[in-house]
Amino acid sequence: MTKHPLLLASAAALLLCTSIPARAKDEDPGASQAIDTNSGEWEGIVNIDVSVLMPDYREPWNAGQPSGGSGTGFLIGKNRFLTNAHVVSNATKIVIRTMSDPEPHAARVVHIAHDCDLALIEAEDASHFEKLKPLTFGGIPKLNTEVIAVGYPIGGERVSVTRGVVSRIDFRPYSHTGVDNHLTIQVDAAINPGNSGGPVLQNRKVVGVAFQGFSGRVAQNVGYMIPVPVIERFLKDIEDGHYDHYVDLAAGDFSIENPAQIKALGLENDGHGVLIADVEPAGCVGGVLKQGDVLLAIDGNPVLNNGLIKIDGELIDMNEVVERKYAGGKVKLDFVRDRKKQSATVTLKRFLPYVKLGLQYNQRPRYIVYAGLVFQPMDRNLMDAHSIRDPLTSYVFDNYMTKKIYEERPEVIVLTNVLPDEVNTYLTGYQQSIVDEINGVKIKTLKDVKAALAKEDERAGFIKIKLLEKGRPLVLKRELAEAAHPRIMKTYNIREASYLGEE
Amino acid sequence: MKRVVFPLFLALLSATSAVVAQNSASVLEPRGKAERKKPIGTITPPPAGVLPKRNLPVAPAAPSQRETIIRSTSLVKVNATSQGYNPHIPWQKESPGARRGLGVVLAGNRILVTGQMVADATYIELEMPESGQKLPAKVVAVDYEANVALLASASPSKEKEFFASLTPMTLDTSARIGDSLSIWQTGRVGDLIVTPMRISKVMTQGYVVENASFLVYEATGIVRSEGNSFTLPVVKGGKLAALLLRYDSKNQVATLLPAPIIEHFLKDTDDGQYDGFPSLGVELQQTLDEQFREYLGMKGGMKGAFISGVSKGASADKIGVKQGDIILSINGFSVDSRGDYQDPQFGALSISHVVRGRAFVGDKIEMKVLRDGKEIELSGKLLRKQPADYLVTPYIFDRGPNYVMMGGLLFQELSKPYLQAFGSDQQSGAILRLSRIAEHPEDYEKEGRRKLVFLSAVLPTPTVQGYERLGGQVVNLVNGVKVNDLNDLAEAFKTPKDGVHIIELADFPKLLHIDAVSAERDNLKLVGGAYRIGTLKRIQ
Repeated sequence: MTKHPLLLASAAALLLCTSIPARAKDEDPGASQAIDTNSGEWEGIVNIDVSVLMPDYREPWNAGQPSGGSGTGFLIGKNRFLTNAHVVSNATKIVIRTMSDPEPHAARVVHIAHDCDLALIEAEDASHFEKLKPLTFGGIPKLNTEVIAVGYPIGGERVSVTRGVVSRIDFRPYSHTGVDNHLTIQVDAAINPGNSGGPVLQNRKVVGVAFQGFSGRVAQNVGYMIPVPVIERFLKDIEDGHYDHYVDLAAGDFSIENPAQIKALGLENDGHGVLIADVEPAGCVGGVLKQGDVLLAIDGNPVLNNGLIKIDGELIDMNEVVERKYAGGKVKLDFVRDRKKQSATVTLKRFLPYVKLGLQYNQRPRYIVYAGLVFQPMDRNLMDAHSIRDPLTSYVFDNYMTKKIYEERPEVIVLTNVLPDEVNTYLTGYQQSIVDEINGVKIKTLKDVKAALAKEDERAGFIKIKLLEKGRPLVLKRELAEAAHPRIMKTYNIREASYLGEE
Repeated sequence: MKRVVFPLFLALLSATSAVVAQNSASVLEPRGKAERKKPIGTITPPPAGVLPKRNLPVAPAAPSQRETIIRSTSLVKVNATSQGYNPHIPWQKESPGARRGLGVVLAGNRILVTGQMVADATYIELEMPESGQKLPAKVVAVDYEANVALLASASPSKEKEFFASLTPMTLDTSARIGDSLSIWQTGRVGDLIVTPMRISKVMTQGYVVENASFLVYEATGIVRSEGNSFTLPVVKGGKLAALLLRYDSKNQVATLLPAPIIEHFLKDTDDGQYDGFPSLGVELQQTLDEQFREYLGMKGGMKGAFISGVSKGASADKIGVKQGDIILSINGFSVDSRGDYQDPQFGALSISHVVRGRAFVGDKIEMKVLRDGKEIELSGKLLRKQPADYLVTPYIFDRGPNYVMMGGLLFQELSKPYLQAFGSDQQSGAILRLSRIAEHPEDYEKEGRRKLVFLSAVLPTPTVQGYERLGGQVVNLVNGVKVNDLNDLAEAFKTPKDGVHIIELADFPKLLHIDAVSAERDNLKLVGGAYRIGTLKRIQ
């Protein structure tokens, strides 16, 4: 699957706007309506032009690669523009332009939610937008009803309108992080790079935010929008001035279709109950549900044997119940264990190990350089940047969750690079290994590396780095390493020996 | 003599040529997918007696060529048809393929070829290069690690006549760096084509299967394939000095399987009991790094290599070698900081040759190691770790992969050929997990597992409704019984609980149930039905 977030890269044709999508006088969703760009009603749909600094996870001490792009956003309240998180991720400068006015207005991010690919931005000077009319939200549109997507996609500089119908309502992965799944609505209105963050409208009301699609080689006329329940959840979450992220049951389920399984688990053969196949001990149902339990209902909503529930007459993934809640919220679970029915209420929270498996943004890469050895915490960004091929390191990343590696090593530290110098010349070739211990100290976080390097090994005068499954330790004489360190920093143009994150 | 039956595999050959042809950009021996086809330049042998006119041996293109034709009476053509099993559909054989090579006639009417030539062979025949006379042959001894095989006549009545005009060749083990050798090939009419080669390097490396490294000669020269490319003799002064193992046409480097290894193989087979090549079972690291040397307490000019791994149950493990020891000497040879010793014939060479090339199973081994700053002497007998002793079978030839089918659930023992058949692209998810077990079997061996049993695929039967998309999960328990090999699994399936088989997996979704009666019913359908499985299990 080659899903691409629909941010228009600055290299391609981009931005600028003028014309306006029309006002819909007719309430019939099937009728097409002419567009009056001078009505002012659509002036709140803006072009967002972004300058970006892509963090460099290969040379983490560098600022990164400047780049840029363009997307769409729309006014939803007083100086509040909604757009996609991926439009404004890693932004160093944001300007917005309206349809009828080419003047750029500096803007900034107010809230950004990478896990649902939404962001709220504001103009630095609100005065220009005071008279504009915000767009309002509708609900979940029905299948086969018409929608229009409005934005500033590739293919020209002025505003674009495309039309289509609602094709499907489903739980889908959000490609911005690559690990989050939420409700999405598929439409066959053309949604192209640059449409990102723009509204999808039905009867003049916003029914979604255009955000991703397939590359043309994979599928045609498949575009996705973020539906209103996800948008509303985001807007509610940030009401307290802080985004708390999605919460997660952190449990894996497996459909119970097999008659023998139904019998062995002591279930009534009524099509209800899904097998709990995996429970994250550190997640919110850890210690409550057990692998082998059968979940019968979530918040009183019966769970079918394939993990679906019925909400508003539609069959939908049972996680939608959790999706609509917030950190600290509670959910009631009815389940069968050893043929006995039980109930429990759990408090929902975010599951952090999950985050490392997805792409992360707006983060300065963390690292430690010592005597030319570069240590970095493992996450998706690092794996991609270093094109990790080491089989053990790939395995650990792939199984960080499934084999509960996060319990032993909250942060897996990788020796990503050895910057050659006389002191470490025999250690090149051990790049991409996982660091197990330094000077006898087990390495569980990047901070441990710093502390352990400072500690004296049992063999005084040496620094001993034990790599996972590498058979021999890497050994440096401390005196030589200390002397080489400043030299290497200078040679390789590294200004700071470490960045451990914000305190 | 006893035919050595190793567990065998062909998938390694057919799946990934990159794995097999380790450092050669292109290989003379057709491998990989091409193995199924005839080697480039192969001449289809015309049926005897009905030679088309243009192929008549008496009509050479240039008269001068006829004058220079020389022949050898020690070479025969070997034609083998091979057919391996599909590692992923273990009851099914792949389509047969042909291999051609030249066999070397040895004393006692024996023919020497590479092991590769006869791997998974269904039919082998010998052919006189000139007359085209043929003789069915059989394998009397084969070692797939050392890649050598010995053939004999499979037709007692024709044997004498066939060998009457042939003269045995003897071995020459004296070749060394700088020596000139020649590769012998036969042309269309049995004429000898001689290509000179010069040995530029002697070292140790893996032959065709990966789990053992052996002595090789590297020689440079330009070889043109004449079609008989699976086994070619390399000759020094009329004696056999090596067999061609692979040829890198880009760099014009031939890798040769040398006479000392062939001699070792032949000596071993002499007593009728083939023991194979012994192995030490250690992993070495260099100690050139001064800081590391100082840390290890290696003083001044002290030599020796760091032992970074000891294979469980192998010779070194049995005599008490530990990870972290520094090996100083082995069987009287000093070991240098690279893990080499000075061979009187070849110069610096990996110590693996001391064990594999210069010693036999059961021979005494003596090692001196540095441990905690003290030199200690260790000694014992050299052993060989048999392929069957590995948790993950390193190669499978001449038999099908083991499996158990139950109601649509296909269980297999993990093997390298199984993994290699996926190619190098699919390195994530279940394949990555299983590959890792193959690389690091220690934890599973500690649990007492003899083989790693996993659910490899699911055939869609009513019994396995809901499980169709599974595959790649390691099996822990079946009906409460720990599954340490396929026999355990087959036994465990005899005792369902309340008419249900309970299968506990190490991986998602961890727990499966199937109805025991329904499974038996579907088993019968699988044997005779669309899948034509033939037999529900193979445990060898």
